[in-house]
Amino acid sequence: MTSKDTILEALKANSPAPVERGPLGFTPMTFQDPLAKFQENVVSIAAAKCFLLQDGESVDDIIRRVYPDAKRIASNLPEVTCATVNPDGLDDPRQLAGTDVGVVRGEFGVVENGAIWIPRAVRHKALMFISEALVILLDRRNIVNNMHEAYARPGFDDYEFGSFIAGPSKTADIEQALVIGAHGPRDVTVILL
Amino acid sequence: MSSHSKAAEKFIADRPRTDWHNQALWFVRQKRDNMARSIPEWEALREAAARTKMHTITHLAYYLEMFERNATANGIHVHWAKDALEHNETVYNILKEHGVKHLVKSKSMLAEECGLSPYLEERGIEAVESDLGERIMQLMHQPPSHIVLPAIHVKRQEVGELFERELGTEHGNSDPTYLTHAAREHLRDKFLHADAAMTGVNFAVASSGAFVVCTNEGNADMGTSFPKLHIAIMGLEKVIPDYDALAIYHRLLARSATGQHSTTYTSHYKRPVEGQEMHIVIVDNGRSKILGNPVHRNMLRCLRCGSCMNTCPVYRRSGGYSYSYFIPGPLGINLGMLADPKQYSGNVSACSLCMSCSNVCPVKIDLGEQIYSWRQELDTLGLANPVKKGIVKVLNTALGSPGMFHFCIKAGRLGEKISPRGLLYCGANAWGRSRELPEFTARTFEQIWKEELSSTASCNTETARKGSSTNI
Repeated sequence: MTSKDTILEALKANSPAPVERGPLGFTPMTFQDPLAKFQENVVSIAAAKCFLLQDGESVDDIIRRVYPDAKRIASNLPEVTCATVNPDGLDDPRQLAGTDVGVVRGEFGVVENGAIWIPRAVRHKALMFISEALVILLDRRNIVNNMHEAYARPGFDDYEFGSFIAGPSKTADIEQALVIGAHGPRDVTVILL
Repeated sequence: MSSHSKAAEKFIADRPRTDWHNQALWFVRQKRDNMARSIPEWEALREAAARTKMHTITHLAYYLEMFERNATANGIHVHWAKDALEHNETVYNILKEHGVKHLVKSKSMLAEECGLSPYLEERGIEAVESDLGERIMQLMHQPPSHIVLPAIHVKRQEVGELFERELGTEHGNSDPTYLTHAAREHLRDKFLHADAAMTGVNFAVASSGAFVVCTNEGNADMGTSFPKLHIAIMGLEKVIPDYDALAIYHRLLARSATGQHSTTYTSHYKRPVEGQEMHIVIVDNGRSKILGNPVHRNMLRCLRCGSCMNTCPVYRRSGGYSYSYFIPGPLGINLGMLADPKQYSGNVSACSLCMSCSNVCPVKIDLGEQIYSWRQELDTLGLANPVKKGIVKVLNTALGSPGMFHFCIKAGRLGEKISPRGLLYCGANAWGRSRELPEFTARTFEQIWKEELSSTASCNTETARKGSSTNI
């Protein structure tokens, strides 16, 4: 008998009477002005910067303004013309080391925690984690109130790798003191299109 | 004296440090409370979380097979391991096949449970911990003292000295930002040169065949971004039915664990990417047996958030190393007893039965009640403390008849007056070591009752009766 069979048999033999799942049993929290609250939470909860793209302003303008010293900007998005590297042209993700700014597209934002769902749409997911700063472009119409709405979005399951990212990488492992920039980006900027 | 009391004595000898440890954890507990209060449906969410877990653990075989089927279809290699040894062998064989010498790991309590790192190191494979707290503990050659905050007991000065020795940081610099960024550089190099990555699993979504890994540092994500091989390991209770269930647990996990709205990274792995191989090892190691235990099967609901530790007055004031099992606090007391009662029964006394753990648990596990029930089971298991058993026998006699009871009260009052302090507060009186015994009152309750209260009480009863009849 394989280990799988042994385990499954033991589980079946030891399983108590089945418990029904039942309905959710509550109405999840929603927000009066989701877009405004989302912008607030991206800053206050996720510790990121957040800009609403204004008329006549380009994504490049904001990236250049926020990261004036960035030399290596990596993105495969057509609207990011200030990109100096197309990350999809690199064979080895290690070549992304030394990226100052990585720019990716988020699919939707979640108001209750300020996180943004980013399914991998670049060749190497390393871009989302190794860049010193991460810029996330997000359509301002794609905002959900809470995680229940997030996971219930049609087509959610259509990804290979995806992450809800809430701001820059952080840790509090030394005496509970919050430090930004543990392993991933030290800075995150959200641009709402 | 229990193993916990003995070990805790060392910890509490340093009073300022005990207070510091207590405060650090209480701060996390308060952050959790703020989160709970900011969600109007918090209690209903816990209820749904508990019910959904109960549903899942009563259908484990069904959901695990569904997960395997979908994960396999996604291109993930699924392995099953009965116990810790088979888990270690499975992981080692995969690594050996790929000629791996350097493995970079994110935090996994299952790896600790199975003793994976020492097993691999004996076979020439370096396993580097990448979570900052875990890395600190690894460099100190000590186990984590908390499941979510591994180095919660270590002071910044100690980290400063450690990093000066191990990573060459400046002498005397113990600034957390400086030290964290030094670790960032040190581990960046490990990430880029690892041959394989290992992660734990917070949730395995049966309906999709995907698994979810939560971190704040992004260490799991960095680790899995470069090598061609990713091995994920999971206790079989980590499976959940679908995304509706995931929504519930996603909302509860970080809020309960560290008082954050969510972790910075909640990463979903569904398919290996170009040129990468992905394996997942599903581990039993006693879990199927726990399922058959009607009193303790609730433990299988656990999300490993650590909120029961943060709130526990005994854990906060005695530290993780006072517990003999590798997981401390209310969770560890219970899991230790389920793993091996003979070895770990010294922890069941580390509980004041305040039930705070049961009240904060996001999946409503009756942790405190279970500890109480373990104490009831100790005698059956042949593990009861003989001194305590003796005391119970004496009490049984003393309280056995009214005559004996009255005699003992008189003897006790006399004893209190005539016994020298040295005898009353001798080593056998553990309670009196840091407390003063209360003085006996001038009269016993029985005397007060007979002389004053019984007449008033019957009067009151009479009034109450009249009152109620009027109302009717």
